[in-house]
Amino acid sequence: MNTLITKYRIWFIIIPVIITILMIVPLWKAKINSDLMKYLPEHIESKINLERLEKTFGKYDPLVIIFETADVLDKSFLKRMQNINTAMIRQKEFKDVISLFELKYIRGEDGMMLVDPVITKIPETEAAIKNLREEIINNSLVYKLLVSEDFRYTMILVNPEEDISDAKALEIINQILSANKGDENIYLSGLPFLRDEIQKKAIRDLSILFPLGLLIMISFLYLSFREMRGVWLPFTVVIISVALAMGMMPLLHYELNIIAVLIPIMMIAVANNYGVHIIARYQELNALNPRWSMKKIVGETMSVLYIPLILTALTTIFGILGLLVHIMLPAKQMGIVSAAGIAFALILSLFFIPAVMTGQKKGKVKNNFKGDGKSVVDKFMVWAGNVVTKNPLRVIIIFLSVLIIAGTGIFYLKVSINLEKMMPVSHPLRISTQIVNTYFGGTKNISILFEGDILSPDVMHTMDEFEARLETLPEVGSVNSLATVIKTISRALYDPGDDFYNVIPDSREAIAQYIEFYNMSGDPDDFEKMVDFNYTSAILNVQFKAKDMTDFRKVTAFINELINESEYSTLQAGQSLMEKEMSESIIRGQIYSLLFAMSAIALLLGLIFKSFTAGIMGIIPLLFALICNFGLMGWSGFDLDIATSLLSSVAIGIGVDYIIHFFWRIKFELKREKNYKSAIVTTLNTTGRGIAINAFSVIIGFSVLLLSGLTILKTFGLLIIFSLLLCLLCALLLVPAICLIFKPGFLLK
Amino acid sequence: MKTYFILISVSFLISPTSLFSQNAKEIAAKASNVIEFESMEMKSSLTIFDHRGNTRERKIVVATRQFGKVTKTLIKFISPADVRGTSMLVYDYEDKPDDMWIYLPSLRRTRRIVSSEKGKSFMGSEFTNADMGKPNLNDFNYKLHGTTEINQKSCWKVEAICKDETIADENGFLSKIAYVEKNTYLTHKAEYYDLNNELYKVMTISNYQKQPNGKYFAYKMEIQNLQNERRSVMLVDGFQLGSTLTEDSFSPTNLDK
Repeated sequence: MNTLITKYRIWFIIIPVIITILMIVPLWKAKINSDLMKYLPEHIESKINLERLEKTFGKYDPLVIIFETADVLDKSFLKRMQNINTAMIRQKEFKDVISLFELKYIRGEDGMMLVDPVITKIPETEAAIKNLREEIINNSLVYKLLVSEDFRYTMILVNPEEDISDAKALEIINQILSANKGDENIYLSGLPFLRDEIQKKAIRDLSILFPLGLLIMISFLYLSFREMRGVWLPFTVVIISVALAMGMMPLLHYELNIIAVLIPIMMIAVANNYGVHIIARYQELNALNPRWSMKKIVGETMSVLYIPLILTALTTIFGILGLLVHIMLPAKQMGIVSAAGIAFALILSLFFIPAVMTGQKKGKVKNNFKGDGKSVVDKFMVWAGNVVTKNPLRVIIIFLSVLIIAGTGIFYLKVSINLEKMMPVSHPLRISTQIVNTYFGGTKNISILFEGDILSPDVMHTMDEFEARLETLPEVGSVNSLATVIKTISRALYDPGDDFYNVIPDSREAIAQYIEFYNMSGDPDDFEKMVDFNYTSAILNVQFKAKDMTDFRKVTAFINELINESEYSTLQAGQSLMEKEMSESIIRGQIYSLLFAMSAIALLLGLIFKSFTAGIMGIIPLLFALICNFGLMGWSGFDLDIATSLLSSVAIGIGVDYIIHFFWRIKFELKREKNYKSAIVTTLNTTGRGIAINAFSVIIGFSVLLLSGLTILKTFGLLIIFSLLLCLLCALLLVPAICLIFKPGFLLK
Repeated sequence: MKTYFILISVSFLISPTSLFSQNAKEIAAKASNVIEFESMEMKSSLTIFDHRGNTRERKIVVATRQFGKVTKTLIKFISPADVRGTSMLVYDYEDKPDDMWIYLPSLRRTRRIVSSEKGKSFMGSEFTNADMGKPNLNDFNYKLHGTTEINQKSCWKVEAICKDETIADENGFLSKIAYVEKNTYLTHKAEYYDLNNELYKVMTISNYQKQPNGKYFAYKMEIQNLQNERRSVMLVDGFQLGSTLTEDSFSPTNLDK
């Protein structure tokens, strides 16, 4: 290999540079897809059901504007609301608008039926305000749904046309809102807002965190090696492999997504590894063999390192490929792209770095590699060697106790079902969600589909009964359907006390006539969202709140029970159900990819060291780190979400390297002298230093995520750092201690 | 006489459009007068198509008669079976909002509906109640946009613009362009512009038949809503000039008869 590098030196340098430039070009066209529902594969049940529902009833994906003021019925506030409402109605970008000035109020009065918006005329006098307040309190379609119980909050729901982008819809809304400014507080909510925020923040993250990550990487490399080539060689490998990995995305027709933001950050952290090991080894050989030529040093470095480098890269690739068994598409894509990126980084490190180095002069000696260095890392290695060799059992017991204490936290681990938690606590979306859950019916929506002769009393009575039973659940904020409207019409037609007041009539004719009656006084489009044109399918909408998966499952299980009771109700669907399926896919994805990565790594280690024990011993530190990590998440209330569900694959893929480097070196040392204690001390002082520098460079690379504008990425950053630190401690303390006590045979082979 | 002539010339010079608009309003008035609205009985079918081509068909009988200054209209459903007998009674006043009553046979109940909006749907179709009656000429400003050919007939293009926002809200449109045949004053087509001033409905009127009193009645009206892609067609199956119904028949208390 070394002669190959010497012979074609120039090509090993030029070709990567050209490929990089070619791969970056298509990236300019890439866009971030923030539609979280697109992250799920096509065939999943909730997606199919929702599509079926949307085919008949149209897409309902509203933006919610919440107004907070002292009294919603205040004259000047209502005037502004009215102006906002009118401006929104007149936008051709908006399909429909629901507000106090739009929602119909059906009522009977002095023998008349009136179908009018809740507010037709803004009340001027105290008496008129009082009157309107009472009307609203008595209107079950408005009170606590569009106006809060205390009249401090009200909202406008805007459903944009399907071809209007979230950014465009929000731009129009913000324009309208700023043209009608008052002293009320305004909060936005709804998926379009969430998507737009993700889009903005992900782009900001990419444009700030990536360069910052590189900068930190450069500083770290310089501080570690104090030599220019120690900086720019690993750095070039990082840049080229990031470009290749990201450039693959448009080539494979992948859309950039919120998770893809992690890819370049992870590549910065990981792709420099191989280069770092080469530089470290070169510095070591340079110090120990002052008379060797540069060519000899590089040749020697590569011949010792190429096997462990290939092996560590392979195990990392396999660990990360664990993401392939994840259900979410972005996770799979991240698996493929970053595995390829790491492969690029490996190839570059094996050919490009030595090709450049052989043409360079030797540098000054930086460290004597005898375990008497002054740096924190060097001191730590000496300390670790002492601790492990003096009392290995104590080390094992301490790790075990930590494992038990931290691990029990797993029982408190929860899955996030609230997408707004992707945002920081102070984000308007968090506040608005809080308001909707506290003062209105809740942010979750599920529709029950009814099929059959909708106008028949049987179907109507079933809907009515479902509504009544759903309302008994404390989580349920509101339910409505055509049955609600039929009952409302009956209240307008009859007086309280009358047999037909507030009931569904018992004949099909009567129900049909109620609807015809409404058509003559209201707007036939009013029913479009509840029943189809031929009266053969209808939906019952359930609005509820769920703080966690338990609440959510309770509501959906209850709905399922109801659906099974009647032949007319056929399925439940809604955005919220897709969110639930996404959460469930997070748990399954986490478990699948964990199992895959663990077994792949165990198998690989087994093959590499030709020993079953090596496989088992290799995954012990990984298991330790992950159990502690998930335990910590449970204890500290971090939820599993779309980003943290990637943790195990990434942590295993990276963490396993430390173990391999350790095993490789200790094997080498044991061949020289069969003394475990001194072999461990030497390994820690030499390779241990490399492992630590490597681990810190990865950790520092990931640390830029702590500055992300998206809470989920921030949390991911924090937890991956924690996991890798644990992996590192395991590799430097736990694994040596185990080796010392059990003296596994494969190390002597 | 001389002064009068000068005045006319001055007004010509100052605002030539005012004469033009006078013309447009006159055309609109004539177009309205040439249609029989006052007294008739008819049987018709109303078909509503949604954007997927699903249809709803209703058959109705309508009787209209003028009593003093009030035009009273009675509409009764014949089919479909489940709404058969459902009736609607409208009192159209010149100077105040319409009165409306609805009778639901399965409940044997008459209810009054209050509706100030002329723009509301007629029987759940794309037609509005306003399309079915005589327009109130004073609600609009008229503008003549020259002439054009519709079905080889030379027509005036007359725009009726709602005078204020309230009128526009009531009617559900900002302006309407009617294509009025020069020779007969029959309207063959009308385009409705919504509150954003965008074209949203197109109505075509055809099969005009001359009645014994010299006025006309259209046997086919079709309206297309470009926004929700729904379409409604009204076909007259039978028509009789004048109504023999007594004023009693147009009373809310007799709707169940």
